[in-house]
Amino acid sequence: MSLPIEAEGLVRRFGELVAVDGVDLVVEPGEVFGFLGPNGAGKSTIVRMLTTLLKPSGGWARVAGFDIATQAPAVRRAIGVALQDAAIDPLMTGTELLHLQSVLHGIPRREANRRSGELLERVGLTAAADRRVGTYSGGMRRRLDLALSLVHEPEVLFLDEPTTGLDPTSRLALWEEVRTLNSERGTTVFLTTQYLEEADELAGRIAIIDNGRIVRDGTPTALKAAVGAPTLLVEVDEAHLVGTREVLLRFGEERPARDGRVAIGLSGGAAAMATVIRALDEAGVALQHVELDSPSLDDVFAEATGRRLEGAES
Amino acid sequence: MTAAAVPAEGPTRHDPGRGGFAAAVPHALVLSRRAVLGLWRQPNVWVFGSIFPLLIAAVQSSAFARSTGLPGFPEVDSFLQFVLPATIIQVVLFGSINGGTELGLDLESGFFDRLVAAPTARVAILLGRLAGVAVLAVAQTLLYVAIFAAFGATVRGGIPGIATLVVLSVLLSVGIGGLACAIGLRTGSAEAVGNSFPLVFILLFISSAFFPVELMTGWYRSVAERNPLTWMIDGARHQVIVGFDLSEAATAFAVALVIIVGSFWLAVRQLQRRLAVAS
Repeated sequence: MSLPIEAEGLVRRFGELVAVDGVDLVVEPGEVFGFLGPNGAGKSTIVRMLTTLLKPSGGWARVAGFDIATQAPAVRRAIGVALQDAAIDPLMTGTELLHLQSVLHGIPRREANRRSGELLERVGLTAAADRRVGTYSGGMRRRLDLALSLVHEPEVLFLDEPTTGLDPTSRLALWEEVRTLNSERGTTVFLTTQYLEEADELAGRIAIIDNGRIVRDGTPTALKAAVGAPTLLVEVDEAHLVGTREVLLRFGEERPARDGRVAIGLSGGAAAMATVIRALDEAGVALQHVELDSPSLDDVFAEATGRRLEGAES
Repeated sequence: MTAAAVPAEGPTRHDPGRGGFAAAVPHALVLSRRAVLGLWRQPNVWVFGSIFPLLIAAVQSSAFARSTGLPGFPEVDSFLQFVLPATIIQVVLFGSINGGTELGLDLESGFFDRLVAAPTARVAILLGRLAGVAVLAVAQTLLYVAIFAAFGATVRGGIPGIATLVVLSVLLSVGIGGLACAIGLRTGSAEAVGNSFPLVFILLFISSAFFPVELMTGWYRSVAERNPLTWMIDGARHQVIVGFDLSEAATAFAVALVIIVGSFWLAVRQLQRRLAVAS
């Protein structure tokens, strides 16, 4: 059986800019693979290459066993794609769009009607099926987009930032849908996101991308375990920043933090907290905020890139 | 980083293949349906464009009513009857631009990507848009013939004459629609297509649309005589003010077909150029 996605040395240049710089990928059948990175990291460019919308400048990739450069039509028949922003014609109804997508995939009318009905029910849009998409909320559009990408029962599903701009409730509903899809049908999902929580919740394996390169990959648990110590984050006023850093560095290595904060990987773990607080108190530091966090994907990102992803989201 | 497990020369799945012309037909049909539905549900994009030529015709027929008696002016029932073909061509020209603006909107919104990421026959993307403007052209032509008839300006060529006007409108809409699609594909902007509107307007004014070439003088007449729109309008006008004569419409058909071939070639080139970034 072919691998859903495999790539080696994938490169994409736009003039002088190298948007994707030698990416290797292997996605196993039935996997939810998360591609995590900040805006402009190259996530969407990779998705556009893997979905045949953009020619690679170098390297190769196969999707569903087909070469993206030489067998693009076969790739398009095997994949489902929900791109960023859910570009859906607002003048058409959900049913009409599903019919259009079915015709484009050559699905016979009767079969198309059956699948459309099932998909609409699955994404909770049966009641809104005959309403124009222009009247849908953002969450409804994304759910319809998901249904559209599933109409031909694709082997591999690409979801490019599926929940960006959605309210928390709609985000949770979409996550549930992706989980069900993966567990019940075994559909391989390639998901890009800039949300740590989304990658953590959905993906069985994650690749962290920054400046067009994969800087870490593995299961969320393994990635976090590799970071080791929990992060101690201390917020003080500007005058105490230098003194605070001096004290904290006695207890672990510094980690990236936003302005006005100092973070370290606390080598002694939670047990060392009391000692740290005493040391800060003895140094005359007036604490504004203290937190101790188990390693998160943000820590993984910070450890790999020297920057924080959290808070950098648009 | 995960090392790639399979070398570049590794096994690739056999592509059974599907598509070609057989797939293009249903794709073109479903995209045509979408284009027509879009026009039907968005009347504001064509209603004003459809009223504007009528207003011009009304103003002109009032201002130039007596000009029909001038030596050299063809024999007509009224000035309104004289301007009927030009008014139809005018509304078809304006309506046809819509094909390009809608394609520009698809590019701007990302719907174009949705079509391209699916196994859509590429030419069907263009054909769908052109079918939309062709249907609009038929409706506008029949509506105008009816409105003008209500004001006493009938088509002397009867049903065959009206049919000739309809066929000409369809051909012209496809030709100009193709040009608008080429601009839309080139620029990726609906606004840019809309901005080409004044060019069409100027072409129309320097033609026999609103006055016979025989009554023009100087450079204006030279340009008008060489303006392909004049050849089209004169062929259509014969059906209205003289009677049905297919041979009189031959030049008009030929002009429309040349525009279609040229604009379709341009549009396909622009489509290929845009798709060249894709695999």
